[in-house]
Amino acid sequence: MILGITDPIRFAIDISAFFSIYLMLSISLNLEYGYTGISNFGKVLFFAGGAFTAGALATRTIMNLYSSQIGNYGPYCTANVIYATEASKILANNPTLAITMFVGLLILGGIIGGVLGYLASYPAIRLKESYLGITLLASGELLRIIARNYDPLICGSLGVSVPDIFAWLPVGVKEVVQVGVMLAIAFITWYFVEKLVRSPFGRLIRAIRDNEVAAEAFGKNVVKIRMQVLVIGSAIAGMAGVLYAFYTKSIHADDFMPLKTFIVWVMVILGGAGNNVGAALGALIYVLTERLIMQYKYMISAPFDVNYLSYIIFGIVLILILLYRPQGILPEKPSKTISFEKVIKKIKQE
Amino acid sequence: MNVTLLIDAIIFGNLLVLLSIGLTLTYITLKIPNFAHGDFATIGIYVAYYFLVFHKISPYITLPIAFLVSGTIALLSYLLVFRPLNNRGISIVGLMVASIAIEVALRSTLHIYADSLTNVYKVISRGFIFRDFGIRISRTIYIPGLLIVSTALTFTLIITLYILLTKTKFGIAMRAAIENPDLAEVLGVDVNKVYAVSWFLAGGLAGLAGALVPFRMPANPEIGWMLLLRVFSSSILGGLSSIYGAMLGGYIVGFAEVIGIQLLSNPPFNLSTAYRPAIPFAILIATLLLMPEGLASKIKLEKITAKIRGVKKQ
Repeated sequence: MILGITDPIRFAIDISAFFSIYLMLSISLNLEYGYTGISNFGKVLFFAGGAFTAGALATRTIMNLYSSQIGNYGPYCTANVIYATEASKILANNPTLAITMFVGLLILGGIIGGVLGYLASYPAIRLKESYLGITLLASGELLRIIARNYDPLICGSLGVSVPDIFAWLPVGVKEVVQVGVMLAIAFITWYFVEKLVRSPFGRLIRAIRDNEVAAEAFGKNVVKIRMQVLVIGSAIAGMAGVLYAFYTKSIHADDFMPLKTFIVWVMVILGGAGNNVGAALGALIYVLTERLIMQYKYMISAPFDVNYLSYIIFGIVLILILLYRPQGILPEKPSKTISFEKVIKKIKQE
Repeated sequence: MNVTLLIDAIIFGNLLVLLSIGLTLTYITLKIPNFAHGDFATIGIYVAYYFLVFHKISPYITLPIAFLVSGTIALLSYLLVFRPLNNRGISIVGLMVASIAIEVALRSTLHIYADSLTNVYKVISRGFIFRDFGIRISRTIYIPGLLIVSTALTFTLIITLYILLTKTKFGIAMRAAIENPDLAEVLGVDVNKVYAVSWFLAGGLAGLAGALVPFRMPANPEIGWMLLLRVFSSSILGGLSSIYGAMLGGYIVGFAEVIGIQLLSNPPFNLSTAYRPAIPFAILIATLLLMPEGLASKIKLEKITAKIRGVKKQ
């Protein structure tokens, strides 16, 4: 026992898993807001899109493929916990199927996130920032309302269980492998975004953020590029949603409140908008704080839910950062260029 | 047409009009949609509830207190957060993020207040409704008190606002400051004071609407946030920068939602009433696609009134 934590390994795994999910969300928002200046207040929409994809399809696919091996336990929704357990048993004996399904759903979640990004931003991407923010936020709420009431998707308010995609590994190893895979995917995404913003495309999106009119005057299609950035960011969020579904193994519509979007904004602005290391730092700080609050909240006796107190603190912290350090902990740095001496040397050689 | 349904639609329209006018008033000052606007309404609910539970005073009588408290919170959020941020030249997106931060903080505070009411005072604090008076006209027609009060209140406030904005010196200064802040400042208008008054009025109107909400639907700390989508929808339909547009938008969205869900929940559609928020959402998307400038750009109320005046002069 360390600091009252009964299972430090479990705790570390939990923190790493949520860190990798939030890293993907914050890095995608950093691409959209930090580098392009898009007001994406509907991050949770794309995250939910990916999570619902995995939630709706994982068990059902196995049920359709192996219908002979799974007994009939009644309607899918009322018995979906049993069906998911049965599906996990099949996956335990079939690593190829499990890996194929994991990769397939990850890609599909990304595609669905991207398509949602296109659809949700289409009505407002040409208009002012405020219209886009409102539309994306409202779209996220609408998807949640549909998911809660339309049973064929994720069984409405009951929620849906997701089979254990790493069931083919022994207990004790599979958790570590799963978190390792999640961290790897998150860091690949981070590297991809970092490369993207250092490319000519990255200079273009920063130009759009800093002066839209000037970018347009140079013949750049601002609307199209903003749309592209939103689709990329939403695809990343969709993939994060798939990872979340496979990690928590159960998906409920009400886990995807607009509050999730706000939390991602806190990470990006706290860490430093326009700096990918900052976005990662913001995600780490948030995950650590949140997990520690969850760990120790039983020690605080208050006549109310302590979570609300933490939201108030996050709100105040965000406002204070906007007021006194709007560039965040790690401010945006100018692009890395080759050092001056090297350039001179090269010229002299020629 | 079903009379009860019509009454429902008018009441819902009235509440949306009060909320949309407020949202528009804050939008025209800083050009940001204030995401905390719904929570100003929720504050009104809990102010009314406090006086009802602890002092046994009818929410209709405590309406001015709801107005003052919500207005003060709105004013403080402007003075402590939005004005300093705006003076530091932060972007529109930054201001919107700040308004979401205020929203989350206010909503969580209301949750804490509601939890404390339940745990300390053993009072129901979520899902309560207010008992209304009413007049039964015939076997099928029953006029609830809320219909009379909310309609009278909405129209009185619209007329007061119209007089304030067009006939008083302060109102004219206010319109000037909103239209062109720099020019107004040069001419000696205290723009900061004008903006502060706008925020106070906006919060106050939201508080009034909020205090009336529990007569119609069960209240909880989330209800203002849930109403916000409708308010955005009606304000954008109205054009986001026109008070008269907001009025029109509020009634259109209110009627469309109440009557629309009644139609959709019956055969041949048989949709669940839980899809109610889809109606204002559809209106929002249709507005953005078809006429992003809103109704105000199509109707030009000012031009019409100018024409009438011109005719009278001749």
